[in-house]
Amino acid sequence: MTPVEYLAAALVIGGTFFGLVATVGLLRLPDLYSRLHAASKSDTLGSVLAIAGTATVLGVTTESMKMVFLLLFLFLTSPTAAHAIARAGRAQDVEPVGENAAWDEDEGGETQ
Amino acid sequence: MSDRDPPSAADHTDRDDAAPTDGRLTRPAEDRPPYVESTIIMTTVRVIAPFVLTLGVFVMFHGASSAGGGFQGGVIAATTVVMLGFAFGIEPIAAHLRNEHLAGLVLAGLGTFLLVGFGGYLVGDTFLQVSAYETLFHHGSKYSIELVEVGIGMVVAGVITGLFFLLGTGVDTAREATEPGEEDG
Repeated sequence: MTPVEYLAAALVIGGTFFGLVATVGLLRLPDLYSRLHAASKSDTLGSVLAIAGTATVLGVTTESMKMVFLLLFLFLTSPTAAHAIARAGRAQDVEPVGENAAWDEDEGGETQ
Repeated sequence: MSDRDPPSAADHTDRDDAAPTDGRLTRPAEDRPPYVESTIIMTTVRVIAPFVLTLGVFVMFHGASSAGGGFQGGVIAATTVVMLGFAFGIEPIAAHLRNEHLAGLVLAGLGTFLLVGFGGYLVGDTFLQVSAYETLFHHGSKYSIELVEVGIGMVVAGVITGLFFLLGTGVDTAREATEPGEEDG
C-alpha cells in the first residue's frame, strides 16, 4: 500500500467511526433534540471523512472533483437540515426529555 | 385555467369540510401550523441552490464518461426544488411549477429518449444503435448517449419534483389532478 492509500484508509476508518458514534447516539439518546445533536454533528463528519478518503484514493479526476463538491454541499446542508428539524420540532412543541428539561416561557416557539 | 391558480383559503376550507380525513397522508392546509421563515435556512438555500442545480446538470452530462448519469443527476437537480420548497414554503413553489410543466418536462425527456432510440432505425438498423450516429457527425455515439442521459435526467427530475409536491401539498395537488378527469367523465 502506498502512503496515499494509508491516508485514504485512515480517513474512511475515521468516517466509519463517526458514523458509528452517530448511530449509537441516535439509538440511545432519549429525545428529538439530543438525538439530533448526536446525529447531525457526527454524521456530517463521518460522511465527509469517508468521502474525503474516497476522493484521496481517486486522485485528481472528474470523480474526485464531484466528491469535493459533494463534501462542500454536505458541510453546508447538513447543519442547515439539523437546524430545520430542530426548529420544526420546537414549532410543533416537541418536549425535551430529562431532568430540568423545560422551555423558557418567554421564548416563543416560532422565532429564532 | 389561470382563474384557478390562486385558490382562496375559504375555498379550501369548504372542500375539506366536505371530505374529511379518509386515510390520506398529509393534513389539510388549515390544520398545518403556519409556515414561518427562517433566515438561516433561506440564506443557505439561496447560496447553494444554483450550485446544486449546476452539479446536477454536470453529473447528468458526464454520466457516459465518468461516474454519474441521468438518474443521479436528475435527482440532484430535483433536490434544488425540494430545498426551495423547504426554505420558502411548498405551496408557493408548487404554484410556480404546476403539474402541466412537470408533465411537459417528463414527456420531453421521454421524447428525447425515443428520438435517439428510433433514430437508430434511420441511421443504423436497430433500436438505440448509437454507434451508427458516428456516420452522421464526429463523436456521434458519445453525444447520443449523453442525449439519452439528459432525457433520463429530465424524466427523473420531473417525477421526483412531482412526488415531492404530492407529499408536501398532498390534498391540494391530488384534488387538482383528479379534477379534470372527473370533468371529462
